[in-house]
Amino acid sequence: MSLQHLPSVASFLTLLAQEPVSGFTAENVATRPEIVERGLRFLNYAYTAVWVVLAVYLLSLSVRLRRLSLQVRRLKERAGP
Amino acid sequence: MAGRRGRSGWTDTAERALDLLVVLMVPVCLYTIFQLVPTEEKMGVVQRIFYFHVPSALAGFLGVVLCAVCSALYLSTRDRRFDRVAHASAELGVVFFTIVLLTGPIWARPVWGVWWTGEVRLTSTLVLWLMYAGYLILRQSAEDPEQAARWAGVLGIVGALDLPIIYKSVEWWRGLHPKVLKVSGGQGLDPAMGKAFGLCLVTFLLLFFALLIKRCRVGSLEDQVAELTHRTAPPSVRTEPA
Repeated sequence: MSLQHLPSVASFLTLLAQEPVSGFTAENVATRPEIVERGLRFLNYAYTAVWVVLAVYLLSLSVRLRRLSLQVRRLKERAGP
Repeated sequence: MAGRRGRSGWTDTAERALDLLVVLMVPVCLYTIFQLVPTEEKMGVVQRIFYFHVPSALAGFLGVVLCAVCSALYLSTRDRRFDRVAHASAELGVVFFTIVLLTGPIWARPVWGVWWTGEVRLTSTLVLWLMYAGYLILRQSAEDPEQAARWAGVLGIVGALDLPIIYKSVEWWRGLHPKVLKVSGGQGLDPAMGKAFGLCLVTFLLLFFALLIKRCRVGSLEDQVAELTHRTAPPSVRTEPA
């Protein structure tokens, strides 16, 4: 990660740390829209995390597959028939 | 593709069909989670994390079990194919448990008020993740692949001993973590939630097998590279393969 991205990462982490500590109950979920909004924000973080992990892994798999296939083809050419 | 030589046509077709099925099922899961499933009354919308968190955990469990079984088979038979599957399963176990360890604290923060507690299920899951991350580091850093496979095989079996602790921890130590799969005497999941959970579970298991096939192909290509490198090396530097 380049240094220019550090402030945005730091501000994101600060935002996470500033979340007020509170628990959900049936009543406050039903009556307080800000709680629902906060829940949606955390839901967004969680699903983003899932997609990022899966995307990074899929990308790493495809890079490895392509690199190794190329390497095998070159070595077979060098080895001859 | 060079790595596909020798694979039969129907294997390729089956693999592509599996990929396609996963690609089609993911949007269906998302639609079900966000449009069809009712909102849980106590936790609110944040409970919807459960539909990806728990199937990820079960896919991770599958990875660890498969790794342990294939490690045991490799140690008794020395067949490289078992080692390849064990390595691939361990890697997938780490990937799926990474999802679990990220989504868990994101759920815990609004519901429990903290990102992390010393609760046994959380700690034992983190220990399992560290063990299998260690497994991958061991495979990556060892100079002798044969020896690395043996040591990793032992670690793969020992690591799986953590699974019953994770599974039973909520009962044994009465932890905070909700019981998900077995609610004895309780109301259990709403039927719509249960169906959505089942759909997500099937999707994650199919995703696991789709990724496992691709990861095993990477292992097979790595073995081919090692063999071809040995064959094409000049006789003066050639050593017997492990």
